[in-house]
Amino acid sequence: MTRNGPVALIFHTAVVIFMLAPLAIVCLVAFTPENTLSLPTNGFSLRWFDAVFHHPDFVQSFWNSLWLAVLSATLAVVLAVPASLAITRWEFPGRGFLNALFLSPLIIPHLVLGVAMLRLFAIVGATGSFGWLVAAHIVIVTPYVMRLLIAAISGFDRSVEQAAFSLGASEATVFRRVTLPMILPGVTGGWLIAFINSFDELTMSIFITSPSTVTLPVRMYMYATESIDPMMAAVSALIIGITAVAVLLLDRVYGLDRILVGQH
Amino acid sequence: MSFLELKNITKRYGPLTAVGDVSLSVEKGEFVSLLGPSGCGKTTTLQMIAGFVEPSAGTIRLDGRDITRAKANSRGLGIVFQSYALFPHMTVFDNVSFGLEMQRVPKGERKPRVEEALSLVHLSPYAKRYPRELSGGQRQRVALARALVIRPPVLLLDEPLSNLDAKLREAMQFELREIQRKVGTTTVMVTHDQAEAFSISDRVVVMEAGRITQIDQPYRIYEHPETEFISRFVGKTNLLPGKVVTATGAGATVSLAGIAVPVEAAGLSVGETVTLCIRPEKLHLTVPADGLLTGRVADRFFLGSQWLYHIDGPLGTLMVVTANDGSTPAEPGATVGLEWSPSVVRVHRGAMAEAPDVALEVTG
Repeated sequence: MTRNGPVALIFHTAVVIFMLAPLAIVCLVAFTPENTLSLPTNGFSLRWFDAVFHHPDFVQSFWNSLWLAVLSATLAVVLAVPASLAITRWEFPGRGFLNALFLSPLIIPHLVLGVAMLRLFAIVGATGSFGWLVAAHIVIVTPYVMRLLIAAISGFDRSVEQAAFSLGASEATVFRRVTLPMILPGVTGGWLIAFINSFDELTMSIFITSPSTVTLPVRMYMYATESIDPMMAAVSALIIGITAVAVLLLDRVYGLDRILVGQH
Repeated sequence: MSFLELKNITKRYGPLTAVGDVSLSVEKGEFVSLLGPSGCGKTTTLQMIAGFVEPSAGTIRLDGRDITRAKANSRGLGIVFQSYALFPHMTVFDNVSFGLEMQRVPKGERKPRVEEALSLVHLSPYAKRYPRELSGGQRQRVALARALVIRPPVLLLDEPLSNLDAKLREAMQFELREIQRKVGTTTVMVTHDQAEAFSISDRVVVMEAGRITQIDQPYRIYEHPETEFISRFVGKTNLLPGKVVTATGAGATVSLAGIAVPVEAAGLSVGETVTLCIRPEKLHLTVPADGLLTGRVADRFFLGSQWLYHIDGPLGTLMVVTANDGSTPAEPGATVGLEWSPSVVRVHRGAMAEAPDVALEVTG
């Protein structure tokens, strides 16, 4: 292993500080007893966390976002697995077009998508529907899942599947017992990235959420435009905390390397 | 009727014929190798037997049953892949057990059979490991155990040893043969390595450009190659272009750049262009006066058990291999004589396919 020189060390430290400082400050501010976002603060209090839990709108929005993210990530994976297998493995007319179509939401600004979806929802009479919100999120998270899956499937040794066939396995069994477990790092990694993208999404969701389906980012945005108080910081700190615990648990139970890097 | 029979098997990809009109009969318990350079169609032939590639024409029969269009998962053949193709997410035990599970062998019966297969390949202590924790040779054995545990009528080996290092490859060759003899499974192996094919096969099938050019026992293929291609592909050889000057019943004299060389070959006619083929180990170094030819030692290479000489002479550069029997080897620059017995010279009719200096390069 080569050691880093002093310049590289300083640079790395600066990058880490630059990335972590906002998170650390938000978490610190969340514990203030004051009525404003102030730092340094003159005490420690959980009153803003208490405020979040007594704010039914935020609690409602949190559950909305969680369900939305779980559903759209899961359905995107269900959609992307067969699509990626087809695109990577078979030559068929329209293959390039399909590939481009699946990846196009990556290059279309969410603002444009938001306006388009708003119009679409109005036409089909779906305004305020949670189902349609899920559909819109599937559109924007599928490309991420596809990218990871295509990478996982491209590096796949097909003779492993042939070996399973030769041992008498049916096509369904080969998929369930061999193909799926072997592309599992791509599947779980894709699901995680899709989940995070959906949970985070603000720009498009602003246009297409209704009072009953407002997601957490949209709720935070609306709240912050009206008043700035440390409750925002408390919500952020909670999200950071939940994410950190989830990632830690996942690493303990399953190993992040295995999910994201695929160390077989 | 033979146990495994390929009849006029052909595979075309568009205008390209990958395998053309291949017919082959394999007897029960036999070990047959398909040998040839890459792209000669040997792997495609194996995949057609396995059922991964559908033949464009011809039939494949196994024990009298037509399996030409049968699906790969209904043929019950054991296959060992070049990449081993182990299931990376399963332990060695589960890898071997997979085939039994697919055949709905009861659970209680599976365990002893997996253990038996693992002990056959000397891997019993590794049952709980994952493939990534094994060496190349061990993975190879798992692949073999996984293929054999289902008691297949035919075992197909696709370049099974090519990913191993030289020393291990040699050891595995003999072990493979020993295991095959023990279980008596009819085996078809694909390889580009002639040493591998020769040392473990009952018969070798030489393929060239999608066709079979010779089917014979290993010794016969080496000593009596039917085409110039085979003599060049199999082992090292000296190829010499010449013209027949006299021909009598069972013998003839061939002129090589003005030097008359007797050969034992019937049916040649005077004036015919021929190519002589002499294996380097069939040439002997002598004192200059005793030789059929004289030449100068241009270079010599020490190969351990043998010396390889390049001798410059009137016929160009000839390769000579002598056993390292402890005697003093010839020095570079020395003038030596070359002699050989007429019976070791093989005669191929027609001119050489390529320029002589290319043909004299070491191949195989």
